Amino acid sequence: MLLQLNNIFKWVQQGGQRVFLLKDINLQVEEGEFISVMGPSGSGKSTLLNVIGMLDDFDEGEYEFLDEPVHQLKEKHRANLYKQYIGFVFQAYHLIDELTVYENLEMPLLYKKHSGSERKAMVADMLDRFNIVGKKDLFPTQLSGGQQQLVGVARALISKPKLILADEPTGNLNSAQGEEIMTLFKALNDEGVTIIQVTHSEKNAEYGKRIVNLLDGRMV
Amino acid sequence: MLTNHLKLSLRNLWKNRMLSTLNLLGLSIGIGSVLTLIFSVYAYYTADSNLEGQEHIYYLKTTGTDGLSFVDNVFPLLDEIVKSSPDVIAGTHVHGWGNMWLKKGDLELQERTDYVDNDFFKVFTLPLKYGDPETALNKKYSIILTDRVSQKIFGTKNPVGETLIADDSLHVTVTGVFEPISPYSTFRLGVILPNELLRDNPTFMANSGWYNSFTPSYLRLRPNTDISQFNQLVYGLVQKNYPDPSTVASIKAMPHADMRMDAIPVVKTIIHGSIAVACFVLLIVLVNLLNLNTSTMFRRIKDIAVRKILGGSKKSVIFQFCLENGILVFLSILISGVLFLAFLLPGINEAYGADFGKISFNVTKDYPVVLYAFGLGILVTLVVGILPTLRFISVPVSTGIKGKIEAVKSNFLLKNSFIILQFSIAILFICVAIILNSQIDYMKEAPLGFEREHIVVGKIDLDYRDADAAVSNFEALLNRLQADPYVESISTSDVVPSDYPFRYSPFYDANTKRDVRMRRAFTDDGYLETLKIPIVTGRDFDETIDNAADNPVIINRTAMEALGWNTIEGKRLKYKDDPSSGFPVVGVMEDFHYQNMQYAVEPLVHFYQDKENLVAHRFLSVRIMPGHEKSVEELIASEFENMNSRRTYSQEVLTDMVGAQYRLIDGILKTVNIVALLTIFISCLGMFGLISFMAKRRVKEIGIRKVLGAGIFKIIVLLSKDYIVLVGIAALVAFPIAGYVMNTWLGSFAYSISIQWWMFALSGLIAFLITGFTLGLQAVKSALANPVKSLRTE
Repeated sequence: MLLQLNNIFKWVQQGGQRVFLLKDINLQVEEGEFISVMGPSGSGKSTLLNVIGMLDDFDEGEYEFLDEPVHQLKEKHRANLYKQYIGFVFQAYHLIDELTVYENLEMPLLYKKHSGSERKAMVADMLDRFNIVGKKDLFPTQLSGGQQQLVGVARALISKPKLILADEPTGNLNSAQGEEIMTLFKALNDEGVTIIQVTHSEKNAEYGKRIVNLLDGRMV
Repeated sequence: MLTNHLKLSLRNLWKNRMLSTLNLLGLSIGIGSVLTLIFSVYAYYTADSNLEGQEHIYYLKTTGTDGLSFVDNVFPLLDEIVKSSPDVIAGTHVHGWGNMWLKKGDLELQERTDYVDNDFFKVFTLPLKYGDPETALNKKYSIILTDRVSQKIFGTKNPVGETLIADDSLHVTVTGVFEPISPYSTFRLGVILPNELLRDNPTFMANSGWYNSFTPSYLRLRPNTDISQFNQLVYGLVQKNYPDPSTVASIKAMPHADMRMDAIPVVKTIIHGSIAVACFVLLIVLVNLLNLNTSTMFRRIKDIAVRKILGGSKKSVIFQFCLENGILVFLSILISGVLFLAFLLPGINEAYGADFGKISFNVTKDYPVVLYAFGLGILVTLVVGILPTLRFISVPVSTGIKGKIEAVKSNFLLKNSFIILQFSIAILFICVAIILNSQIDYMKEAPLGFEREHIVVGKIDLDYRDADAAVSNFEALLNRLQADPYVESISTSDVVPSDYPFRYSPFYDANTKRDVRMRRAFTDDGYLETLKIPIVTGRDFDETIDNAADNPVIINRTAMEALGWNTIEGKRLKYKDDPSSGFPVVGVMEDFHYQNMQYAVEPLVHFYQDKENLVAHRFLSVRIMPGHEKSVEELIASEFENMNSRRTYSQEVLTDMVGAQYRLIDGILKTVNIVALLTIFISCLGMFGLISFMAKRRVKEIGIRKVLGAGIFKIIVLLSKDYIVLVGIAALVAFPIAGYVMNTWLGSFAYSISIQWWMFALSGLIAFLITGFTLGLQAVKSALANPVKSLRTE
């Protein structure tokens, strides 16, 4: 068992009323799964992903990640947990514009006290694997959207996470680029990486092994 | 890690080239001026640092019953004090008695000459470059040179033991050379000689009794001296020995450290002003950087979130930010250093030079200033790096990642108080500049009681080698001038307005029982005519009636009133208990401003002196018909250049001499103007950054409003109005402070303008215009932006 959500609730106060973003979510994720989260706009897909990624709090319920009770952990401990085990892929890539491809890939390693030669080897490995060696000195703005997302995925993978969280990873891409990314995810999943992706597209959802449907914060 | 941070910082700065340049510009100029101010204050406070135990050195300050105070005392007083007080370790006079001409080979020069007592070095531990302070003043015919004078005469060699010929008659031996003395030092020395030497001088011996106050007296007292008791002792000696002790209200030992400020009151204003200005400018620079940083934070908020997700700690984010600012700050310190050495230091030297002394920068000596600058840089970096980050760093990553600035709790009060503070300071300086400008204009333009135009003043105190030949030449010149159709009138005198020496005599009228301390001067019979000073009553001097030996005098209106006279019929000016019949008063002249308008018109007395008496006069003033100045000036100049004299002849027009009295205060004005410009400029940089930040935040709102039909002007108003209100509040804060400060300062001028409402209005208007322009630039840009583009960003 990689993670387990039990009766998760999340709400905001609006006009004196509680508006539920997440309502009684129960979800178990095994290692090696590939889950697609689907649902209309505002159904709480991204919120769910943020909660799983520990970027967002929830108001009620229990969350266990690798047998650690996340709901009881302190902020710092929680941060350590997601830094170590979770990689994020964003719809808008969120690469750092001032850094080259190489430096963007290197950045997560800098925060983890790897030695210089070790970092070099890991980044080189990743560049190689994603076939972007020739682009390593370019800045994000010099790349196409598909290439940027490729770098985004590579960056998420470089610290060898157990779980990849992808929030509409193909949302800003055209269909050919999107397919490339999805094929990549499939391959990664085959290698044993657990993936949870949020998507609008039925077609992309098909890549997953399991589909979770949300509506108004509820699993349906 | 560090290289990564560094790389990122440099690229970030480069990416925001425009903002970085603005920042760099504001910072460099700001820090440059702070550096300059700190340096001059530093130079001022360390100038006397070579005096050991300066806290035990005192000078005597006398306050008369008329309220005036002066540092000059009678000569015998010091010796009496040394004899009677057990608290005195040593005492010395330092006074002039005519500046000597010093001759070595063909070289002859005149330098400020001071006479001191043998204990000079026991009071002042001024270090000698050459020679031994223990023995340097032991011999009667010895002379100690300042480094500057020594270099002029002897170059770089050690001159101890060399002989100089003083005033063509005395052979004096160089016994020492001072280490270079800071221009900010209390000491303004040229050469010093032992007082022993003056004992041979009959005029000195005749005039150094208990009634002639001419010498400052310095004392080194024992550390535990009870000063008030000591003062009582001195007062007792005054009561015992002064011919008229009733004129002395108090005589006090004052700390030597206060002497500089006491001597030139403006110095106090300059030094305190410098400190205040340095703090203000620094504050503005800081606030400005904070504002600009806050504005860039909008773009950063996403970066921060990404970094946090990728594992960066808050610490590393703050470090990154500090590094970026650090680069900027230290780069500008470098630039400002160059600015300081190349422009600002020469600039202040030029502005204050003559009265305040030139200062120079020497790394080996002045390294603490470099350290201050360095420390300042670190402080600024930390503050501007950490403060804005704190506001943004706690934004939850899940909102930060979306770049939602609305989610940031915007501390309006804090941000706005910064702007208000900044603009208050800027408006304060503008106010000060305007008021000071008006005051100086007023002093320069005010009617002075004499007509200053069309008068050329020749300086004829030239130390003629052949006095008799000079006098006959001079008489010939006077005749030619009198015959010249373009010359309206001629006067010789030992004073001209703007150059009345500080010479006072106490007079007493037995009938009205009034003591009046009057300023003394010597003029001929053409003086009042040349300057067009009206006679109130009586008559002007007249060479056909008056005889210099009878000492006829003309007093001014103030003097007549001070003496309590209604008429001068049969009046004579007398010293108290003076058995002689006194000086006949022949006339009363209207008050005129013989000194600059910072000072009031005092009782003044002109003594008659023959026009032809060349050596008694220092100035030849000639009123020339407008348009014919050149020929007359050339005539006078050529005549004097032909006379054999030690000094070279020079002449000036009186208007310039009168204007030059305000050099120091002009310097202050110049500085204030620059600071005012600077503060408003830097403030606007910050405001520019902030409004771009606001425009970015409201880009969607602007887009929607435009789609809904708002015109460009409406949008501009929308964006600017808050800031205009803030500037208004700042003005309200600044006005009373400016009013108070300037009122206090204007109080130190004998004649001052009253502060008018339009001065405030004008400074407010200037601030509004400049702000409006700055705001307009950015607001128009935002208003013109295509709404389709801005709305698409969602």
